[in-house]
Amino acid sequence: MSGFIIATVIKAIVVLAIISALAGFGTYIERKILAFIQRRLGPMHVGPYGILQIAADGIKLFTKEDFIPSGANRLIFKIAPLITAATAFIALAAVPLLPEFHLFGITVRPIVADLNIGLLFVIAMMGVGLYGPLLAGMAQENKWGIIGSARTAIQFLSYEVVTGLSLLAPIMLVGSLSLIDFNNYQAGGIANWIVWKQPLAFILFLISGFAETNRTPFDLLENEAEIIAGYATEYSGMRWGMFFIGEYANMITIGFLASLVFLGGFNPLWIIPGAIAIVLKVSFFFFLMLWVRSAWPHIRPDQLMWLCWKVLMPLAVINILITGLVA
Amino acid sequence: MSDNLITVTIDGKECKAKEGEYILNIARANGIFIPAICYLTRCSPTLACRLCLVEADGKRVYACNAKAKDGMNITVTTEEIVEERRAIMEVYDVNHPLQCGVCDQHGECELQNYTLEMQVDSQSYAIADTKRETKNFSSVLHYDAGLCIVCERCVTVCKDMIGDAALKTGPRGGDKLDKGYKETMPKDAYAMWNKLQKSIIVPSNGTDFTNCSDCGECTAVCPVGALTERDFVYKANPWELREVPSACAHCSSACHLYYETRFTSISDTTEKIFRVKNEFHYQSLCGAGRFGYDYENRTAKKDPAQLAKAVEAIKNAGTIRFNSMITNEEALMLQTLKDKFGIKLVNQEVKPFKEFLNYYSKATGRALYKDSFKDMSDCDFIISAGAKLRSDNPAARYLFNNIQKLNKGAGLYFHPVGDTLVPTFGKSVMQFNHKPGDEEAVLLLILDLFADKDKLPQSVKSVLDSAKEKRTKTVTKKVMEEVTEKVVDKETGEEKEVTKKVPKNVEEEVEFEANTLVERLGGDAESFEDSFAKMMKKKESFALIVGEDFYFNPRAENLAKLIALIEESTDFKVAFIPPKSNALGVALICDLDDEEEGSVVGYNEPGDFRISALGDGDFDIPAMNQQEGTTTNMNKRVVPLNAALDYNGYELNDIMKALGLGENLTIDWTAKLPTDKGYQAVLFDDLPNCFGNDGSENRGYLLANLSAEKEDIELEELSNEALEGDIAYRCNPQRQFNDFTNKAHQIFEKYALYASKERAGELGERVKIEFEQGGGLELPVEVDERMTGDIVEIPDFKSELDVYGLFGKSRYAKVTITKV
Amino acid sequence: MSLDNFKDRNAGVQNYRLLELEPTPTTGWGKFKQVLIRSVKLELLVGLKVTIREMFKALFGGQMHTTKYPFEKLPISPRYRAIHEMKRLLESGHYRCIGCGLCEKICIANCIRIDTRYDENQRKEVSDYTINLGRCIFCGYCAEVCPELAIVHSGRYETASEQRASFTDFADMLTPLDELKKQKEFPGFGAVSPNADENIKKTPLAY
Repeated sequence: MSGFIIATVIKAIVVLAIISALAGFGTYIERKILAFIQRRLGPMHVGPYGILQIAADGIKLFTKEDFIPSGANRLIFKIAPLITAATAFIALAAVPLLPEFHLFGITVRPIVADLNIGLLFVIAMMGVGLYGPLLAGMAQENKWGIIGSARTAIQFLSYEVVTGLSLLAPIMLVGSLSLIDFNNYQAGGIANWIVWKQPLAFILFLISGFAETNRTPFDLLENEAEIIAGYATEYSGMRWGMFFIGEYANMITIGFLASLVFLGGFNPLWIIPGAIAIVLKVSFFFFLMLWVRSAWPHIRPDQLMWLCWKVLMPLAVINILITGLVA
Repeated sequence: MSDNLITVTIDGKECKAKEGEYILNIARANGIFIPAICYLTRCSPTLACRLCLVEADGKRVYACNAKAKDGMNITVTTEEIVEERRAIMEVYDVNHPLQCGVCDQHGECELQNYTLEMQVDSQSYAIADTKRETKNFSSVLHYDAGLCIVCERCVTVCKDMIGDAALKTGPRGGDKLDKGYKETMPKDAYAMWNKLQKSIIVPSNGTDFTNCSDCGECTAVCPVGALTERDFVYKANPWELREVPSACAHCSSACHLYYETRFTSISDTTEKIFRVKNEFHYQSLCGAGRFGYDYENRTAKKDPAQLAKAVEAIKNAGTIRFNSMITNEEALMLQTLKDKFGIKLVNQEVKPFKEFLNYYSKATGRALYKDSFKDMSDCDFIISAGAKLRSDNPAARYLFNNIQKLNKGAGLYFHPVGDTLVPTFGKSVMQFNHKPGDEEAVLLLILDLFADKDKLPQSVKSVLDSAKEKRTKTVTKKVMEEVTEKVVDKETGEEKEVTKKVPKNVEEEVEFEANTLVERLGGDAESFEDSFAKMMKKKESFALIVGEDFYFNPRAENLAKLIALIEESTDFKVAFIPPKSNALGVALICDLDDEEEGSVVGYNEPGDFRISALGDGDFDIPAMNQQEGTTTNMNKRVVPLNAALDYNGYELNDIMKALGLGENLTIDWTAKLPTDKGYQAVLFDDLPNCFGNDGSENRGYLLANLSAEKEDIELEELSNEALEGDIAYRCNPQRQFNDFTNKAHQIFEKYALYASKERAGELGERVKIEFEQGGGLELPVEVDERMTGDIVEIPDFKSELDVYGLFGKSRYAKVTITKV
Repeated sequence: MSLDNFKDRNAGVQNYRLLELEPTPTTGWGKFKQVLIRSVKLELLVGLKVTIREMFKALFGGQMHTTKYPFEKLPISPRYRAIHEMKRLLESGHYRCIGCGLCEKICIANCIRIDTRYDENQRKEVSDYTINLGRCIFCGYCAEVCPELAIVHSGRYETASEQRASFTDFADMLTPLDELKKQKEFPGFGAVSPNADENIKKTPLAY
């Protein structure tokens, strides 16, 4: 039992370290990709190809003044970023990141907690994540913050519905909530991928995934053109960095979920081993988010709601209905 | 001069003018533009530029010297004339340097203006250039011959206005014109060029230096950048300068002028006067006015402690001692102090003048002298008595000279100090160097020569009659005499007697009536009669100007009465020269006292507490170029002064405010000037300050000449006492008038004893002067080359030396002079 | 490109054209149709296509736009109006400025000041010259009006400094004497036009 605990702790620490490093690295990747798409070079001067820009940003974030507005609710103001970061990482706990492998003779299952309700846990954790922006916006005594948290509430809650409904159909197919079961269901090549059976669910999930991670075109929470920085208006330094890491962790989580649920998970692909396959898939989703950001404009809040309740949710329900009838 | 008005039509506009007026002047007075470079309104036509060519009744005439006739029809431009003018301007542009950028006249250059006006955009004439040197004519004049277009304006103004005649045209040494031009060029342009190519401006005394009175009028009239002020050369461009119309504060003429100011330099942004300009067509400036402008008070700051001290000093003062460098407003404030606190007002410069005016008004029934200098410009006979014409008042001197030159006039100059310049003003100028103390005899002679004898009182008549003597003189006559000669015929050898008529001079004794007055005044009684008769030919209007010698005179009362007699018995125009800048204003506004009493507050004068605009006193006040106000000039005109420079300190009005007597602003006093003295209750801001196109003076307002109580004229017995021995005369050198001119950096005349060349040779370099009444001075000796005689001059422009105290109420004093 | 293209300031008829857009739908049915049509035509993917195409062009087509500014500089137009520069005479090395003050006069921002004086050689000497760059609007009038082509605009656009004044010291504005040979004529405002010789009316000379 203690071995299990030690293994879990080690896994948790490793996941935390790697994902937060990846989140930092994600910022570099995002800037680089966006630059390339605009035919620019992006960061170039800090380290080779600007790779140490992450370190420079980190130093900047850590050394910035820890600023709390005088009218803010200090406790909540301090806790809010932690909620975002923590829920993002906790959600990852139930996600199998890689296939099983052997290290020093020990079989390592690269999942912190293989829950039988893994998918539900992940979605629930991401749902809890809404408290971060919500509380942050309300705690800082700033009108932009308030608007930001209001948008948080409506956007996250609404799209939570679509996420859930869109995933319901694959769940109905697989008959399990464990992500490993999902993975195993799709073993045996591309033809077995759920995406072919549930294309609509995949699209709906992607769309709602963008909304859940607060990415363009749904980044209304902190749309700088309209509400300065929304819920993050008064945040600076490492507290603001927490939101940032949380967001990137969520992006990675969504990438994993999409890969695991719809695109065959970490099953080997032809000659590509499963570990590499899932990394490639997650990378693709990460890239997709940046790509979309560079290509598409923001939408208005009313369009967001219209899309959610009048288009996506009915489609998701119909999809479930059809799945139910067929299956 | 007749006053008949005629009508001429210029370009369809009907203009009224006096008969005999030049067409150009009529056009200018009526706002019609006739181009002309060389003509100056108050001077004689030069006919150098020939631009003023117009067509009068079909004939081509030069507008500057063609007199208008009644009904004349004048066309300013015809096609031919336009061509001629263009050719003239092209000729002017031949070899004129094109580096306008570095020229000081750049932007106000008449050559530039007319070149553009005549639309000269190409050059068809050429001639090899002559090397012409840049020279400094004097300590203030700079002549760049390369820029000169020989319009001779400088020559004309120096001769006709100033009287120095220090410039003339000299040989240029240029090439002769290509003969071909004579046929191809317009006629007048060729003639103009021919003359231009031969001449250049040079000092008329044959040296490299003008040795003139350094008035700088030639620099003002120069249409191009050839004659400029040395100090101003290459310092600033005309367009950067801010023009402030004001009046000169140095002498009683209060000439209109413009201060031109700009920031000092890049590193020093305080405003500074760069030069002074004048409306030279209407009024000429002297050297003090043109160059004595930088006397502003720069040290002043608003220090309440200083103000409190000044207020205290005024409260405790027994006397305020001041001079004429003061505005009417300030004088009125001082008078208010006298009224409220009984402070005595002492002004040594003005007090005798005020008394003289009083005597005069008692004798005539007029508060002020009858005429103004401005009215005298039409006269053709002018007499100056009691004024050192060359230095006392430049405007009076210019008037004297201008009458000789322009009206073919004549003049009599009475003064004890001999002057070599005045007789050069005209052929008919006679100088009398009488002894000091014989001033009454001057006026008696005038009465004798001009008065309607019936209007004179018996006592005067008898004096005049007793001055006549029967004498004989030898006259040389030409008589034709018959002479018989024996001539041998060369061919025949015969002797013949031939009778010829041969002229022979015969001396003859003639009896004549000699005027002993003439002799007494230092003239020659024998020749006087004839030469005076010559002078009187064709003379119609007469003028008498009276100077400071008469006010500072023990016999002032008698002199004033004699002048009143002259007014009664002749049709002379009479005007007085107020002794110093605002002497007339002070005399009218202030009640002056003789003696100082108690503690003395000096106002630009020495005193126990010194209020000064010179920046060296206990309390600072603005100098005359830093404040607004009015001054009363010799033409009996109240003219405005404007502030050319900033002033940061307190004014006299601030002391008045502290005493509870002040107005809001100094210029609020302007409307309070005493109307019972002839002033008007006009606000300062309503006073105009400009000239009209026809030369009419639209500045301030004229004082009303109020009537006064008239008393019968009872002459005292005439004095026969004249001063003998070493005599000093209180007189400033040219361009020096007061402490302020002395402060100006371009006025170099030193404080010294001035004497004629011979006398200075006797005196050596430095002398000690002791006055008979006590007191003395030690001064260096300077030569005044234009002085003659033994009288020496002691300047009074330094108030600290109290020269007035030394001389007392006379301009002449017996002194002993010893070499040091 | 001929000069006429620049002279035509009528923007409406140049290379612009209006997009032929369908009218914005107002009814619910219309909006639904629009969504449907756009979804079926996959218009959104066009955006993605364009962006990824640009990325490939940049990475593999060698069409990266970035200029690494402090290390690389783009060429600027010779007529560019940056910080002023004073030229010298090529023969003598003396500054060309004659102190005429025309630049001072024409300056609409009133930022030029000149101090001049009469020097020993009887010439007008410029003793000081300043341009207040806080007021200068770089309109180029000073260069245009200068009769000597003395004051011109340089291409020196990097104007970060502790003091603006350090750009306008007369000595600093002048071409350094050792670089006199490299001094080039300014082709912008105020330069001699290429056909100047044809436009001049010749003045006859009598030598």
